[in-house]
Amino acid sequence: MNEGIKLRVSNIEKSFPGVKALDKINFAVKKGSVHVLCGENGAGKSTLMKIINGIHQADEGDILIDEKIVKIQNPIQARSLGISMIFQELNYIPEMTVEESLFVGNWPKNKYGKVDWPEIRKRTISLLKKENLNYFPETKLKDLTVSDIQMLEILKAISYNSDIIIMDEPTSAITQKEVELLLKKIKELRDRGKSIVYISHKMDEIFRIADEITVFRDGCVVDSRVKEDYDMETVIAQMVGRKLESNFPKEDIQIGEKVLEVKELTNHGVFQDVNFFVREGEIVGFAGLMGAGRTEIMRALFGLDEYQSGEIFIKGKQTKIKSAKDSIQKKMVMLSEDRRRYGIIPVRSVKENISLSNLKKFIYKGMLHSKEETDTIIDYCKKMKVKTPTIETSIESLSGGNQQKVILAKWMLTDPDILIVDEPTRGIDVGAKYEIYKLISELAKQKKGIVMVSSELPELIGMCDRIYVVTSGKISGELERKEFSQENIMRYATQVIS
Amino acid sequence: MKTNRINKLYADMKSKYSIFLVLIVLFIISSIVDENFLSLNNLSNISRQISVVTILAFGQTILIICGMLDLSSGSVLALAGVFSVSAYIKTESIVIALMVAILVSVACNIINGLMITKFKAPPFIATLAMMTMARGAALLYTNGQNIYQIGDYIKLGQGFTFGIPTPIVFMLVILFTIWYILKHTVLGRSVYAIGGNEEAANASGINVDTVKMKAFIINGIFVGIAGAIFMSRVNGGMPNGAVGYEFNALTAAVIGGTSFTGGIGTSLGTLAGSFIVGFLDNIMVLTRVNSYLQQIIRGAIIALAVIYDIWAKSRRTKGTLGKVQAKSK
Amino acid sequence: MKKYLAVLLGFMLVVSMLSGCTGSKNEDKAEKGKDNPYRVAYIVRSQSDSFAAWLANAVLEEADKYEDMVVDIFDGQSSDATQNALIENAITSKYDAIIIQPNNGEAQRAYAEKAVEAGIITITTNARIDGVNGASSVDADPYEQAKVNAVVALEQIPQNAKVVVLDGPPGNFHADARRESWKKEFFDKRPDVKIVGEEIANWNKDEAMNYMETWVQANDKIDAIISMNDNMAAGALEVIKNNPKFKETLAYGVDGTAEAVLLIKDGIMTSTSLQSAYDLAKALLDTSHKLVTGVEKQIDIDIECPLINKDNVSEYIEMHKKAGAIRN
Repeated sequence: MNEGIKLRVSNIEKSFPGVKALDKINFAVKKGSVHVLCGENGAGKSTLMKIINGIHQADEGDILIDEKIVKIQNPIQARSLGISMIFQELNYIPEMTVEESLFVGNWPKNKYGKVDWPEIRKRTISLLKKENLNYFPETKLKDLTVSDIQMLEILKAISYNSDIIIMDEPTSAITQKEVELLLKKIKELRDRGKSIVYISHKMDEIFRIADEITVFRDGCVVDSRVKEDYDMETVIAQMVGRKLESNFPKEDIQIGEKVLEVKELTNHGVFQDVNFFVREGEIVGFAGLMGAGRTEIMRALFGLDEYQSGEIFIKGKQTKIKSAKDSIQKKMVMLSEDRRRYGIIPVRSVKENISLSNLKKFIYKGMLHSKEETDTIIDYCKKMKVKTPTIETSIESLSGGNQQKVILAKWMLTDPDILIVDEPTRGIDVGAKYEIYKLISELAKQKKGIVMVSSELPELIGMCDRIYVVTSGKISGELERKEFSQENIMRYATQVIS
Repeated sequence: MKTNRINKLYADMKSKYSIFLVLIVLFIISSIVDENFLSLNNLSNISRQISVVTILAFGQTILIICGMLDLSSGSVLALAGVFSVSAYIKTESIVIALMVAILVSVACNIINGLMITKFKAPPFIATLAMMTMARGAALLYTNGQNIYQIGDYIKLGQGFTFGIPTPIVFMLVILFTIWYILKHTVLGRSVYAIGGNEEAANASGINVDTVKMKAFIINGIFVGIAGAIFMSRVNGGMPNGAVGYEFNALTAAVIGGTSFTGGIGTSLGTLAGSFIVGFLDNIMVLTRVNSYLQQIIRGAIIALAVIYDIWAKSRRTKGTLGKVQAKSK
Repeated sequence: MKKYLAVLLGFMLVVSMLSGCTGSKNEDKAEKGKDNPYRVAYIVRSQSDSFAAWLANAVLEEADKYEDMVVDIFDGQSSDATQNALIENAITSKYDAIIIQPNNGEAQRAYAEKAVEAGIITITTNARIDGVNGASSVDADPYEQAKVNAVVALEQIPQNAKVVVLDGPPGNFHADARRESWKKEFFDKRPDVKIVGEEIANWNKDEAMNYMETWVQANDKIDAIISMNDNMAAGALEVIKNNPKFKETLAYGVDGTAEAVLLIKDGIMTSTSLQSAYDLAKALLDTSHKLVTGVEKQIDIDIECPLINKDNVSEYIEMHKKAGAIRN
């Protein structure tokens, strides 16, 4: 019906167990244009792209190419329909050469069924020449940068003759200079009549490259317009959209002395010159986009990663933290964002998981005092409302929320002054979330300083006294409670620091 | 509700104590099949025969729980043993001989530990290297020849303490030691935690490298004692002795329910595993099963033990999933 | 780190090259005035095998007696591949003679033939590789070693006796030949004798002990222990040496180890046959010398394998004392 529509998505719906990931999605991509999809983490952009690429199948709705309905069961089918996808995290084989990677899985064969290497070399050279790129066919991928490999992926898409190229946050891991190169290439492809779907939430990039913009939120399309009808404020407002609906058990607490102060903390290439402080009874939030470096800062602080320079003061005293053990002894603990990896010991019991960081407490005459241990742990489980059949039950059989409470119980038992919680409510159902908020509030009331890293803005706005925003490894903003708004935070988070 | 709880208890019993059930069944069958099996002498023989491997297996247990293993224990046993024998010949003191065995073995295990903690060598490779080095050192030290005429040294392996064969006394003392370490010490809990999830253990403030070193030192003490008992039992210093014992020890630990994925295992389970192998070997010789067939049966038992281990684990996770689903309904 | 590793590897390479060259160095040092010594490569089955190690030591000792001959020892490490490579290296290094103590006769046959083709004097020993054209051999015949015991056992073992048998690793030339000898020379002639237990104890004392402990449980009476080597016989005897019920039990082995002669002296073990490393070494060096000097073209000899029993044990105790294997 509409002239020049290359790809159309019509009423796509998709559910995962317990979550409606996409709800009646509609949008269209024109021939020879760049269509930007933006939205917060988890808004559904990536899921939709995976459906278009055949990795997931939609529950309802259709995908149309050149206004004809197509069924896409897998990425190979997608490729044959002229769709190529360049993933956010590039999977590649380091030992492969440029020419091998260009033809991987699609090697031309000679009449004896043997891979035709001279043909590959010929095609590679002509392709590189055509696209004006300066690579040697025999260079191994491990000797290239991320942006080089990205460029090769684009080259691969061209070699497949794809008309639709989907790029999922292509600039998240490359330098500013490389971004320029990439954007140039994208424009060139557009001018040759290709349709580009570009996923990003970096505002300046979006406005430089987009012809059309579609905003996603909570699995729905909020709006879709040509770039000229949008401005940055509108896009951000549409991205965050929702009102703060849940009430947070935030209490008014007398804020005291500084318990933690960090000055100029730097780990080159990860984060630079990070300055912040936390006071007694204060909950300090850390906002930012995925990959901005929030978790990395906290890991370095807690002694899990190294840092090159900077100073850490705990209760006014300068300290060096070399390991998690060090940090725990100095009464600073961290609830990791990756519970399965850094939180639980899956095969062991609730009891052992809780007492792990506190074993010295239960030692009498060189022996673990098991009654004392059991009593204390039962007490804590009750206090923290951990739902478990017995404390001898293995932790992996508990729900996510209860596992998180067990880990929190472990840290509370160490009686910390500073508690860092990284994504404390990730993967936890609503009821358990509320209980965790209450526990955090309770801890603040006990004069502990709390650092809360979260990607859920309502949670930060609802719980924190102050929020730092991290962008590209640097602190790009600090907001007091009265300045809190999702728009404000997103503005800092999406700005580009050069 | 009540039947549910009983079912759960039964399932718990089955998964936790199944290895002891196997042991008891094997014991009963053996007693019926051959009249000679069920005699105090025979049972004491079996205990004595398995004592050396069981002591090694206790060392393996603590290492496997911690996510490692020791392929060098047979060779280190021989090295510690021949040093111990020659120390005895020079000093005529069993205490000094025993100390020498322990010292040599602990030294080897400290090297194992350093390779693994400081240089991040995989335990498999590090202890494989030590296996070859220790055997070479034992042969070099003795010029490849057995040392005979070791006099009263044989009391360690052939004598009696409190009316019980001395090797069995050692085995029981070490059983108690490892049980105590695993159950009642910070070290034991740390060992389980590291095997269960090394990164989480580290993030919980456990010094992973120190714990691993300690585990190797404990293993070293056990292997040293086993070395002295072995040489005493065979009445000679044999640099070629105990070849392949590390695998017998691993077998006992695995049959006893120690999981190679780490974080799971008990001292009593290993003891049971060792006895299962001991009973099996004994009854096969008593009933004169063909020697080649014996090897096939032994191998099959190991395969069954491992398959059972994996099956029991998958059942455990499935069980919990079932519970969650039932709740959501 | 990588740098250090490279240096270390380089160092190891140099060391291995040097050690491989010791032979030629000796040659260079030899004064022209004297004859250049003949170079003999002795490829040992495995320095970890106690008899092979004993033999290697004896060969070195014996070699000192020859002014015009030097022997270099190479360890085959119980591996066919290693041993074959060592033979090839010895051919390349143009040794005057190569003595091969095969790990597994058939696996080394082609390489022994190669050595002969290259015009190098080739001697196979313990056990000989049969039918290599142009090669010589010095051996103690394993069949004969077991036979001298089996012959006396025919007389000693009582009617309707119950015996146990301890075997070496299956597939091993000596293990199989000794067992075959017992079958033909004893069991076939004494159908009245009953084997109440037979197990593979892999030459090992500890394994033999375990089996014997179990057999003792199952049998009130064991009249004889028939073992394919002394080590296993000693293991079985370790179990019953203080048990009055088995005071009369006979025990036969092979090898004539220090432990076995002591047991014979104490009346615990019945007999063994000597596979004398000294005699073998003496014969090997003598043969090598005769061949390299061209006195003879081809020699095949078997050293004697005398029976050791209570009557002549003292002379063998003296032998072991001289070697330092028996103290006091």
